[in-house]
Amino acid sequence: MARSLRLTDPARIPANSPGRGIPDVIGRPGPSPFHRLNPLTKATLATTTAVAAVVLGGLVGPSILVGAAVIVPAAMAGVLRRLLVMAAILALPIALSAFLINLFFFPGGETVLLRIGPVAATAEGLGFAMEILARILAISGAITLFYLTTRPADLVVDLERRGVSPRAAFVINASVQTVPAMVERAGQITAAQRARGLDTEGSIWRRVRGIVPIVGPVILGSIAEVEERTMALEARGFSRPGRRTLLWSPGDSSREAVLRWAMVLALAALIVGRMSGAWQ
Amino acid sequence: MTELRASDLVHVYPAAGVRALDGIDLLIEAGETVALIGQNGSGKTTLARHLNGLLRPSSGRVLVDGRDAAELTVAQLAAQVGLVFQDPDRQVFAGSVLAEVEFGPRNLGRSGDELRGAVRESLAACGLEGEERTNPYDLGQSRRKLLALASVLAMRTPVVVLDEPTTGQDPRGVERVRAAIADIASKGRTVLAISHDMRFVAETFSRVIVLRSGRIILDGSPSEVFGAAAWDALRSTYLEPPLSARIGDRLGQGSTPTDASLIARLSGDEAQEQKA
Repeated sequence: MARSLRLTDPARIPANSPGRGIPDVIGRPGPSPFHRLNPLTKATLATTTAVAAVVLGGLVGPSILVGAAVIVPAAMAGVLRRLLVMAAILALPIALSAFLINLFFFPGGETVLLRIGPVAATAEGLGFAMEILARILAISGAITLFYLTTRPADLVVDLERRGVSPRAAFVINASVQTVPAMVERAGQITAAQRARGLDTEGSIWRRVRGIVPIVGPVILGSIAEVEERTMALEARGFSRPGRRTLLWSPGDSSREAVLRWAMVLALAALIVGRMSGAWQ
Repeated sequence: MTELRASDLVHVYPAAGVRALDGIDLLIEAGETVALIGQNGSGKTTLARHLNGLLRPSSGRVLVDGRDAAELTVAQLAAQVGLVFQDPDRQVFAGSVLAEVEFGPRNLGRSGDELRGAVRESLAACGLEGEERTNPYDLGQSRRKLLALASVLAMRTPVVVLDEPTTGQDPRGVERVRAAIADIASKGRTVLAISHDMRFVAETFSRVIVLRSGRIILDGSPSEVFGAAAWDALRSTYLEPPLSARIGDRLGQGSTPTDASLIARLSGDEAQEQKA
């Protein structure tokens, strides 16, 4: 039977609006059906897409994966533009270097397309570089789609509901949420150091010189914060054994469970097929 | 000496769509000691950050010593306006108190006797003499806050802006901050401080500016701003006048914003009152 949102008081959920009555601080369904999928379903989609892109290899397989498992869901969720920008930023450094190295230094490349001094771009290198690029896009696209459509707190609550220990769930949540917190902290520290004359707008040397005064407080502050946060958690019974009461958890359904298993089994079949040499 | 001027200054935080400053016109003359008060979100920190270029106006202008701040980099403005942040842990990075205090003046190109003199003087003003080799993280939070103040004082900027300098300080720390401000003022430098501590404000500054929703609603001496005539405006932004002002009013003694002024008024000591 399909299970919907769970609240302490199910009567508070109006039939036509699964989100009404749920305070934002506790949890809130996303704006699109894709957002509202269970976090584990979206995590499974991201993981199987990324691994399948590597297992499939070639250009066609990963390209189809990008279209079917990244572009189409992103368009359905209304996050396609943001996904393209973020995935490009995420993948650009590694994609560019991998592309250039394979284009110019592919071993055994014979069909020269372009020669720049001692190095030559070959057709074989170009083909392999495109394959690598497709895999990187599939991986970065899958991760970005998950990030854009899933709130970390939802994933953690769902994992806790499935029996993951609160300690492990907290580690996952803290890891994900530390990044924006550190970015915000770094912004304030940069402002404080600039106010003391640190020039972060000049030459590259000046910028490099400015790294220590900025990174130092970011790391020291984060370490100090971890200690304080740990004590604050302990003071509120974090280590207490036993079950926790969840005020809210993301919806799940038997249909989604079937979908998750189907994705995992399809990936397993893909790996077995690849290892047995069913295709090259 | 440096004069600060804001003309029809507006700042809008685009992400939140918040109009944090809404047409500020202000002149702070060289050597003034000014307190900036108001409830959270009234625009105090936003205004302070415009003075050294960390924030740029959405419209209007900020003039530092007659020069448009928009034409200067933050590094250039840092030589004119030193800004002490509220949280010292968002700036302390060096392995010793000495290195931390030297950081600002070194960025301004100071060296030799000038650097050593500035460091010695600022450490003394903040009660940190003898702690030169101490790791800043071995100091308590309140002394780390004084270290942050010392590190800006050592830059010897004509203007010093302090963001909530007494938050987290015990009475001794507050006294130390007050003494440091008096020391800066005695050298003819300008001090502008953001504070929620009305007693500290009344006893330390010669001018008080009250902000509400990005606008100046009161601007005058502590006697004027904490006098009974201004209480309605003050309370409209959830601020309470100091206790001495309320007692003085109840006893029909007029405006007595500080304990000293109240005692002097009650004892009829004119000389003491003048001093207070």
